Amino acid sequence: MKVGILSLQGSFLDHQKSLDLISLESLLVKTPEDLDKVDGIILPGGESTAMSKISSYNNLYKKLDTRIKQGLPTLSTCAGTIILAKSVIDGDTHIPNIDIEIQRNAYGRQNESFEADVKFLNNNDIYCFIRAPKIIRTLNNDVKVIATHIEDIVGVSQDNIVSLTYHPELTNDNYYLEWLLAFMKEGKYVGSF
Amino acid sequence: MKIESTFKVKKGLAEMLKGGVIMDVVNAEQAVIAEKSGAVAVMALERIPADIRADGGVARMSSVGVIQEVMDAVSIPVMAKARIGHFVEAQILESIGIDFIDESEVLTPADDINHINKNNFKSPFVCGATGLGEASRRIAEGAAMIRTKGEAGTGNVIEAVKHMRTITNEINEVLSCDTNQLVALSKKFRAPLNVLEEIKELGKLPVVNFAAGGIATPADAALMMQLGCDGVFVGSGIFKSGDPAERAEAIVVATTNYNDPKVLADVSKDLGEPMVGINIDTLTEEEKLAKRGW
Repeated sequence: MKVGILSLQGSFLDHQKSLDLISLESLLVKTPEDLDKVDGIILPGGESTAMSKISSYNNLYKKLDTRIKQGLPTLSTCAGTIILAKSVIDGDTHIPNIDIEIQRNAYGRQNESFEADVKFLNNNDIYCFIRAPKIIRTLNNDVKVIATHIEDIVGVSQDNIVSLTYHPELTNDNYYLEWLLAFMKEGKYVGSF
Repeated sequence: MKIESTFKVKKGLAEMLKGGVIMDVVNAEQAVIAEKSGAVAVMALERIPADIRADGGVARMSSVGVIQEVMDAVSIPVMAKARIGHFVEAQILESIGIDFIDESEVLTPADDINHINKNNFKSPFVCGATGLGEASRRIAEGAAMIRTKGEAGTGNVIEAVKHMRTITNEINEVLSCDTNQLVALSKKFRAPLNVLEEIKELGKLPVVNFAAGGIATPADAALMMQLGCDGVFVGSGIFKSGDPAERAEAIVVATTNYNDPKVLADVSKDLGEPMVGINIDTLTEEEKLAKRGW
């Protein structure tokens, strides 16, 4: 199988490294045609405003939206999660696919960026939050919470989509990588919380 | 457990900017144009480098008012410049919550021997480099991001190309040497040994490296990306051109699609006048900003 990584801007090469570590073939996705060649997709961190502007050049988001709605296994981190949210506080919605309300830069500016404990499924580890958004609430019961930092929701799952607000690709711990492999192969939420 | 502003988090912001364009702006209006055109961050300045060059005199940190106006106007990260070695300007920028500090040769240096000890700060720093030794010294001081110096405010890409090629060639020298030669290379490049060891292990610089200085067209941006840069700073090139919004957007699309000449041709059409450039050999040694920094 081949996993696409939305590569308009942001930490797409870090996600490629994660996929290399679990021996999954990857494709840097920049055009609508690229989306026909992949069996899964990752939306990386970066700047959601910049990515959306760049995507408008070849109308990439329209095809991406269609492919996600067809059930393509989809992982989003940080800005990628803003792109998929149904409701965005202090920002535009882009390709709403996951029923959450999210707030951009919710913890503050860069000086308030941090590393912290995250409970992701059955594992605890330390991850980076960089000018991170916050999932304020889930909008219905189809959305499962799968990751938390203290009281904050930092990861959710809905059908074929898993959305995180932090950066597992900068850490690449074994638990995350094993989960990623299983998720991309099975195409849906894997694990218990 | 929660720890703010670790080096991993500082470096992490630079990772998130990769593949993007950082634009110089002098007010809120320009900042909004930059954000709407797809900039990943803006550099807030009172004067862009071309004007600093034309005006002469001592160039200092921009007024806090101008920087805060830009910070209030956009949601993307905002950077600002401090003079080389001027750690108090950096403290001021940090106190107003700037997202990134550029310890920049575009401003008049404040210390002829020392750069800022960037490890003392919560805010991440980007620093210019003309070669691997300079890049390594800045990384040892705590820089979370490197950029080529180029020759700012000239609209002439030749110096940025030279600096990027030099860094790449010198990294290749580190990678191809055996570990017995590393100490000698450290002396040759005046590069801290531990940074060279890290480069040898990673196969590349341990932090993100952007192109800067003289980039004025979509083709210039794509050239720097094909040479291996992680992203692009555009200073005077956008707001000194005929149609800033069009040019900004074209450079953004070109930076993403740097390997696709058809896209580059398409975005380069009907862009209006680029900024007027300066030939480097008409500058005296004293006029070259890239000479600043030690």
